[in-house]
This record gives sequence, structure tokens and C-alpha cells, in this order.
Amino acid sequence: MSKIGVFVCHCGENISRTVDCARVAKASGQIRGVAVAKDYKYMCSDPGQALIKNAIKEHKLDGVVVSACSPHMHEKTFRKAVTEAGLNQFLCEMANIREHCSWVHEKEEPTTRKAIELVRLMVEKVKRNMALEPIRVDVTKRALVIGGGVAGIQAALDIADGGHEVILVEKDPSVGGHMAQLSETFPTLDCSQCILTPKMVDVGSHPNIKLYTYSEVEKIEGFVGNFKVTIKKKARSVDIDKCTGCGECQLKCPSKKIPSEFDRGLKNRTAIYIPFPQAVPARPVIDREHCIYFTKGKCKACQKVCPTEAVDFEQTDEYVEEEVGGIVVATGFDLYTTDKQGPYPDYKGYGEYGYGEDPDIIDGLQFERLASASGPTGGAIQRPSDGKEPKSVVFLQCIGSRHPSKGIEFCSKICCMYTAKHTMLYKHKVHHGTAYVFYMDIRAPGKGYDEFVRRAIEEDGAVYLRGRVSRIYRSGDHLIVKGADTLSGAAVEIEADMVVLATAVMPQPGIEGLFQKLGISYDQYKFASEAHPKLRPVECATAGIFLAGACQGPKDIPESVAQASAAASKALILFSRDQMLREPVVAKVNENTCIACWYCVEICPFTAISKKDIRDRQGNLIKRVAEVNPSLCTGCGTCAATCFSNSIDLDGFTDEQIYSEINSLMAVGQDLFPEPEKAEGDSPDEKAA
Amino acid sequence: MSDRTDKIREVARKWLADGTVEAVVGWEQGTYREKCSPVLVRKPEDADRLLFNDRCTNNLMTYLKRDPVRGMEKVGVVAKGCDIKSLIGLLQESQVEREKVMVLAVTCEGVKKDDGTVPIKCQACDVNTPTFYDEIVGEKVASNPDPEARFKDLEKLDAMTPAERNSFWREELDKCIRCYACRQACPLCICSRCIAEKNQPQWVETSPHPRGNFSWNLVRAYHLAGRCVECEACETACPVNIPLMLLNRAMARTVKGAFDYEAGKDPEVQPPLRTFNLDDDNSFIL
Repeated sequence: MSKIGVFVCHCGENISRTVDCARVAKASGQIRGVAVAKDYKYMCSDPGQALIKNAIKEHKLDGVVVSACSPHMHEKTFRKAVTEAGLNQFLCEMANIREHCSWVHEKEEPTTRKAIELVRLMVEKVKRNMALEPIRVDVTKRALVIGGGVAGIQAALDIADGGHEVILVEKDPSVGGHMAQLSETFPTLDCSQCILTPKMVDVGSHPNIKLYTYSEVEKIEGFVGNFKVTIKKKARSVDIDKCTGCGECQLKCPSKKIPSEFDRGLKNRTAIYIPFPQAVPARPVIDREHCIYFTKGKCKACQKVCPTEAVDFEQTDEYVEEEVGGIVVATGFDLYTTDKQGPYPDYKGYGEYGYGEDPDIIDGLQFERLASASGPTGGAIQRPSDGKEPKSVVFLQCIGSRHPSKGIEFCSKICCMYTAKHTMLYKHKVHHGTAYVFYMDIRAPGKGYDEFVRRAIEEDGAVYLRGRVSRIYRSGDHLIVKGADTLSGAAVEIEADMVVLATAVMPQPGIEGLFQKLGISYDQYKFASEAHPKLRPVECATAGIFLAGACQGPKDIPESVAQASAAASKALILFSRDQMLREPVVAKVNENTCIACWYCVEICPFTAISKKDIRDRQGNLIKRVAEVNPSLCTGCGTCAATCFSNSIDLDGFTDEQIYSEINSLMAVGQDLFPEPEKAEGDSPDEKAA
Repeated sequence: MSDRTDKIREVARKWLADGTVEAVVGWEQGTYREKCSPVLVRKPEDADRLLFNDRCTNNLMTYLKRDPVRGMEKVGVVAKGCDIKSLIGLLQESQVEREKVMVLAVTCEGVKKDDGTVPIKCQACDVNTPTFYDEIVGEKVASNPDPEARFKDLEKLDAMTPAERNSFWREELDKCIRCYACRQACPLCICSRCIAEKNQPQWVETSPHPRGNFSWNLVRAYHLAGRCVECEACETACPVNIPLMLLNRAMARTVKGAFDYEAGKDPEVQPPLRTFNLDDDNSFIL
């Protein structure tokens, strides 16, 4: 007869508000095989755990059911506790009466009944649990960093400085990301490129960093500690080993009218181009979509002029495989566009602001390029339509963000700060101009942030108007901005020379494809989800994958850098061990009944199952069976469900355990739910006490 | 017919005499005039026992996965087009090695059931002239241009309400005596230990009462989803005439609709429930 202990947690009031925990404990005490059942306010607390440990020793328990929250939350905690009391950790199970019961039901009689049923299921399961030992797997001490913006750069440098090899994959021809496009940074107004480019150079020259620019992650196999990554190196059409970066090709390229991505369309580039002078690697790439040779079949001007014969029109996409142990995802963000047909098909643009068709209505990043010393105007503020210096500029905040009718409810977090910065940059360059800002709230929490905004208003005279803009339209040389100042209650009409929209921070368009390859979850906006919003903010639910920067949600530079270092330290923690322990929840094959149909081999998503020959001593083949590699198996159970002959079982979730769980719900003839008063006096709980 | 019988005997005799095969599985005259029985011929002089006529209903492929045939180095098997579909299933699932089997295909105009009627599989047959074989005998026979006609029978099920369908099956499955003849006759029931005989835990109750009968017959049907080649061996074997092919054909129709796959057509194409691909259709997941 089993001796199971049941421990019912109140979770403060989280459970006890709707579930009668004392009654759950009493009813559990009557389940056959339960030796002791107790309830306690906080089972995860020190005294709560002590209660479990004492009960294990006192009653010589051979199984424990903690009836509390989700195993995601505290299974580890309680497994550790039972181990300390001398019980195998896999003899401890959680019955989730919080997420599965108290949080989703009202305070009614059936809620408590359901909690009792959930305990009963787990008691039946734990009776059939086997003591298991964790599986040891070797750790590949190399990291993959996806994305070469400031977050990816920081994570790569930290891991590389920690002494481990890093594979850095960037989809664009150069690392740098959005930070390289910025002019100055808040709240110090130091030059963005001046602080970023040294880091970019470090990444390019660090002996531990292998840089793949103009490349994408094609495929990811394996699991924490042992990922196998296939990287697609897109055809650059330039041999970067031969190329010296002299730039002659750019000068000769006849296709010169391509809007530059780096300058956000404010300047044109050639078909063979280095995205910006400080690019790392400072090597050109041919944009095959626009190159005259690739579109029309004739030209090759760049090849003729190249002194080192580096231009290679025959280059094709190349695939390389890398083995890594941990992955940092730092894919960053992009901006919401007000265009009718933006890169985000789920969101319609802003008709009231002209769908981005007026050249003088620009977004925040375009303004950064205008203000940047390396930008299309050399840092002079000139409006795009005619190059005139704008006498008044209207800045609109919360374009897309906090605008549920446009499909986005979140706050993009950085716009209040960068808009304040923009007004200052503008005023510092156009002394007699006026900057107007339409805002909803000014959100400037952060070191030196609010002071910065106050400075913009008080010292640089930015006119802040609390309200939204209903319409922008062109009237001759000017743009008329119609809005409301809700503090004075007046309608406002401003004649502006240029309008800057602080558009929402969005994930990279189509990034969910990569997240699916990685097997990580994402929210409704396609921002990557962390494992726990408070306690595991840089880890994914998928072990070995960490998040850095704005791919997780809007973030400013200091936050992205801090998170990148945090992700790097998580990777370094992973690499600090030679071997890693894995849950022994893996599939096992019954070789007696396996009929070698290989369904499991074919369907295993992790290629963990192989074919094995069973031979006698003379080496004669007796039969062939399936064999599971426990270090590859993730315990997903697909094989167990597919096997006709029921020859595969999952350790920790055996057929027998599941069956007895189901069966326990059908038990008849027992007084399953004794009324509290009836049960009084004869509960094992009290006897134990 | 007698022409085909002669040729079958001739080929079998040759194969047995020159050692191509250890034995030939075929049909012989049964105890009763209107029935043929399976026979295992091991010697060339016994080849004359073999015959082919419209009573050769048994699907002989089921013997390939059993002893003693399973252990043989190489075996010949006489097969109609429909039987060859089963062989393709067995090849896909690695139960039979192609080089260990010599297929003696025979063209067929259709067989008859014991009561003299023509089974649905023959009415809508698309393999009267087999295409997968080592040797073939008989003149070419044209096939039914509309193999989908075999699903016509399902219309009466489709017309029922769920409640009616439930009581229909309750009544039919009530007859089941759990003799497992359907399983034994099925060439694709390949397990050495059937789930019906597993008792830790016992998913399928063994006694022939409604609950166990439902579990058994549904498990059997599900295990054949996307695999059943509709040879009708189970229904023919059933001593209490449960319309098992209604279940099997309903499955086949669903698989065809969902995956555009028909079992037993091409040994190179994997059955849909046997593959995993990242590009698999996920639209059914909410």
C-alpha cells in the first residue's frame, strides 16, 4: 500500500478565496493510499516546505502531491524540498488547483469538488511514479546571437569576453541596427554613432566572434546545450576577403536612384553599396533586385572597375551549419508605418495623416537621419520636399501606440523621450523655429529622463500641447495640423513646415517565422514572450534561448544593453558546466512488442529515434526495433501516441499512470465529497496531528 | 479463368523448380464447391493445386507477416490488384522486404462473395490490371473509371443524425462476439501484441458487451486510418456481418479529403500519419 502525502496550499488567498482548502485536505485524506493530508497558507514558504519534509520523514511517505499552483511555477521548489527529505524528486507531483481551478471558477460548491478531483488524479498518478534520475548531456559551449543591433552586439561581446565562441548572425549587410541610424541619444545628447561604432568594430575583430552579415537563420534543430543551426549566407555578389572596401564600385554604379534603407528613403544609394561609411564589415553588397546586370543582363561596371576582382556575379546563397549550446534572440524592432500598405498587413495606416504620402510628414527615424551629421543633409534640418529650413515643426506622439482603434494598445515607451530630444535638436539647429508637441501623457521615468523633458520645455521652449491631432492636410507651402489642446479645451490649428510622427515600435515584420523555427512563443503583436514576466524576463520558455532588446517589447538603449548583458550572463551560466541535467521524461521502447514499422522514426520531430538490430551471440539478426536517444528526446510523446502496438511509453507519463488518472474519475461507490461536518473527527489529518 | 489457372501453375512450378522461391502462397479448391482456400505450395509437383477463379476472395498478403512465410528467404505470392495494395502498405511500413517477395499478379474481373453478390471493392475497382508485380498473368481488364463510387454507401451514414448514427452502431456493434477474426484477416493489422490484449493498463475491455465492443472496433478502425487499403478482408471474415467497411471507408474518405492520400497506391509515398514536417498544415489548431 502506498503512503502518499497530500499538501494543500492556500496560496495566500489565491486558492482559498474560492476553494475550501481544509475540505480538500480532509477529502484527500480519505483517498486510498493517502497517509497524510494537510493544508497550509503558503506551502512554498520555508515553514510550508518544512511541513512537507517533516511529514515525509514522520510518515515514511513514498510519494507527495502538492496541491497548489502550476508546475511551471513551483514544481522545482517542491521537488527540491522532497529531495532534501530523502525522496526521489520525481515522486513529487503538483495538482494545479490554482490556474486550473480557483482562478477560473467562482466560489461555489463544485469548485471545491473539482479541486478534490484534481488531487485524486495526481494521487493515482504518483502511486505509479517511478524514481527517475536526471539525464546528463554534454554542453556545446558556443552561442548563437541572432541580430546585430546594439543588443546583439552587446550580448555577443559579453559572451565572447567570457571566453566562449559566438556566432553573430545579422540579416543586413552591416551590423549596427537602428542605433547606427540615430543622431544623438537621450538624456545626454551624446552622439549615437560615436558610442556604437567602437563596439561594432570590436564585434568585427573579436577573436571569439564569427560574424555572418547578410545572413539569416534557416533551420534550428536540437535542444538546450546542443543546438544545430543552419545559416543561410545570402549571395553578397562580392568576395569580402578580396574586397578592400575602397568604394570605387559605388562611384561607378550607374543605378543610383534606389532609396537608401539606412537613410530611410531620404537619400538614394547605388545598386552596389556599403550601407553607411562606418559599416562593419565595410564591404559592399549588390542589391540584385535593382542591379542593372541582374535585371537586364548587361553592365558589370563595378566588376570592371574593381581593382581586386572581388565582384562575383556568380555567387549563390550558401548554407553553413554551426553547433551551439545557447541562443540569444536580439532581432529588434521596426516602426509602424502610416502607409495604406505597410509591412504589417494586420494594421491599416493613418488616412487622416495622408497615408505617409506627403514628403514633409516623416517619422522619428527619418528625423534622426535629418539631424545626424552623417545623414543626407549633413545634419542640417531641412524638410524633404524642397530642402527649406522648417520654421515650425509639429511632433505627434503615440502614432499607432496606445491607439486601440488602430489595433495597438501598448505604449511604445521611447517616443516621449526621443520626441523631447527631437525638439531640442531642432531648436539647437533652428534657433528661431518653434517646436510643437502633441502628447497624451509624458512618460519619462528613468534616470535623468524627466529632467530632460523639462529642459526641452523650459530651456528650449518646446510647446507641449496635450491632445491629439485629427487631421493634417496641405495648404500651399504649409501643412495644416488640426488638433485639440485638451488642457485649455480649445481647438488648435497650426501651420507647420514639417510634421514628425512618433510611430509605434513594432517587431520586425514577419519575425514570427523565426520564432516558430526557434520554438519560442510570442504575443499578439509578435513580440517574443519571456518565460516569466517578473522572475525570468530574459529567458524564453524554451530552455537555452534568451531574449535581448526590443524583440521582446519596446525598449530604449540602456535597457536593451542591460538585457543583452543579462542574456549573455544566462548563456555564460549555461556554459559554466560541462554537463547539463535534463528531465528524464523521455520515451522508452518495449523491445518485445515493437514491430519495427518505423512510424516513430518518421514522425519524431527531434530525430531522437533510430533503428536498432537485436542480434544473438553469433551475430545473427533476431529482430529490429526502434531505439530512443534519451539526450535528444524531449518527451513530447508524439511517438507514444503514434505507436499502434503501444510499445512506447513515456517515463513519468506512462500509459498506466494516465489510465489510472482517468479511471480514478470514474470510481463509483465511494463517498467522494463528504460534507465538512460529517467528515469531522475522523480525518487522518487530525490523527496525524 | 482456366487460362489464368494454367499460367499461375506454370510460373509457380518454374519458380519452385529453379529455387527462385521457397514456397508459393496461392488459392486452391476449398472443401465446398463455391469456396477457395489459401494454400502454401512448397514443391513444384504441388503447383497444380493452385487455381484462380471468381471465388478467390482471400487476401493472401496477411500470410506474409506470419510464420512460416515470414521466416522464408524468398516467397512467391499470387495476388489480385487489391491484394497488391496491401503489399504496398506492408512495404511502406517495413513489414515485408521487397526483395524477399515474388509477386505473381493476376488480372481480375472481380470476385464474388459467398452469397454470389459482387463486393463494392470490385464494383469500383481501379486495379483490375495490377501495375506492381514481378510477373503477371491474364489479359488486360478495364477498371471502373469512377473509383469514388465506393463511397456511395456512406451516404446513408451521412444522412443520419448523430443520435441515429450512434444507435445504428450500437446495434451493429452489439453483435460483436470479439472473435478478432477481423484482426486476423487484416493484412495490415501488423502488431505482434494487439492493444486488445494489453492488460497493464487494459484500454480495451475484453468481454463482449457494448462498452468493450465500441472500444475494440473504434481502436481497430483508428489504427487503420490512412493505412486501410479497403480489401474487405475484415468484413468478409466477420461471422456476425458487422459492416466494418463502412467505418474503414469513412476513414479513407476523410484521409483522402484531408491529405489527398489513398493507401496502397505508391510504395514511395509515405502515409500521411507517418510523416512530420514543419510545413504541415496547422490550420486545425486554434
